[in-house]
Amino acid sequence: MNASPVVSISDDAELARAARHGSRAAFGRLYDRYARMVHGILLARVPHGDVDDLVQDVFLSALRQLSALRDDGAFGGWLAMIARNRAHDYHRRAREWAELPEEIPAADRHTPDALAALEAIRALPEAYRETLMLRLVEGMTGDEIAARTGLTPASVRVNLHRGMKQLRQKLQCEERA
Amino acid sequence: MRDPYLWDGSGAPDPEVERLERLLREFRSDRAAPEMRMEARPRWRAVAAAAAAVALAVAVAGGGGGAPEGWQVARAGAGRSRLAVGQTLETGAGGHATMNVGRIGIVEVEANSRLRLESARAGEQRMALEYGLIHAFILAPPRSFVVDTPSAVATDLGCFYTLEVDKDGSGLVSVQAGWVSFAHAGRESFIPAGAACLTRHGHGPGTPYREQAAPPLRAALQDFDFAGGGDGALNVVLAEATKDDAFTLWHLLTRAKPAQEPRVYDALAALVPPPAGVTREGILRGDRQMLGRWWDQLGLGQSGWWRGLETQWP
Repeated sequence: MNASPVVSISDDAELARAARHGSRAAFGRLYDRYARMVHGILLARVPHGDVDDLVQDVFLSALRQLSALRDDGAFGGWLAMIARNRAHDYHRRAREWAELPEEIPAADRHTPDALAALEAIRALPEAYRETLMLRLVEGMTGDEIAARTGLTPASVRVNLHRGMKQLRQKLQCEERA
Repeated sequence: MRDPYLWDGSGAPDPEVERLERLLREFRSDRAAPEMRMEARPRWRAVAAAAAAVALAVAVAGGGGGAPEGWQVARAGAGRSRLAVGQTLETGAGGHATMNVGRIGIVEVEANSRLRLESARAGEQRMALEYGLIHAFILAPPRSFVVDTPSAVATDLGCFYTLEVDKDGSGLVSVQAGWVSFAHAGRESFIPAGAACLTRHGHGPGTPYREQAAPPLRAALQDFDFAGGGDGALNVVLAEATKDDAFTLWHLLTRAKPAQEPRVYDALAALVPPPAGVTREGILRGDRQMLGRWWDQLGLGQSGWWRGLETQWP
């Protein structure tokens, strides 16, 4: 993994404030900074084939709701909540319309091993799967995950440690089976 | 935690973590700029209330009444309405409107603007800005959102931008994120974030420039593009250009007169040396492949993704 990028909450707060006051450039920079986080949060919850569409839904939703952001310093946590809500909404609407399979294997371009690893993470408790998705899929460091999501570094450590422990056990069981 | 590799990739690699990183990398979001999905199923969304009071009139301009395609429009004090294909939206003094561009973005319309919706189909959202000022926020595949103006066509390449059109047909696009193409009659300018481009009725798009470029460069460029400034104006542009202005000089490679092209080549080569295999002779005869490879050296992203999209490139 590359060296951890510098993560500055105060920078993000400035960008959020500027975006809230109408700066398109600031919102564009926030998109660049937070796209991986939103992608990872959604990947932990919805079929991967729909994640890209939903990432954009989340940012458009954030753009429309920016005036409701009360604390510019909490932009990351606020955006993460929009992403989680959007994933929840995705499943609620899917239930309203039809019982659809989670994935359509015939159309999938990913390798079986990669899909199995992804599914193993998605079977973990929610807090662990989200943190592991951000670390293992999106390549974010623990510090970066904490700064972006608003979680404390201690919580991220716990989630990574316990989540990885459960993931190892799960993968070993599957291997034995 | 005793596992620094799991925390931030430092220390001795954990083989299992490393294996999972390698396996899962294919699911990663590696996009640096807003992109990119095809609109699949139109559905209208709630939009944020417009900020200012609005004097907005929606007048049927022909043929659009009852059409199934359109954009949702929100404005303070007037609730929501729908702009159908063929209809015109006009904001008065102090007016402001926010439009949902299908599922792919938002367009904010400032006061004293007039526009017409031309297409609201999946994959092609298109409007004509007769005059006024809009801010577009588009998260969609390149060329999904197009704005016709009297003197050029602005095509979104995945970005946020501001477009202003005067009543005489002149225009100015300023890009805040991503890219915009500004084109007319086979002449196309590619405008990156932080840059702007003018257009004039009868001339089409000018040469794009950095918004922070030196004022003499910007003035000379305008003179060169629209006022027949010739060698004098070009000399100022070439003398004032810095490495950050290389994309401006790159555009001039195909816009200067043949006798001027060698000087443009030399000035650009002094700022950003051409890569191996790109020759002076090739560039001066307009070799598209070489122009593309030199573009790739400018540090503005690879040309390949947009180069194949328009036959008239560059």
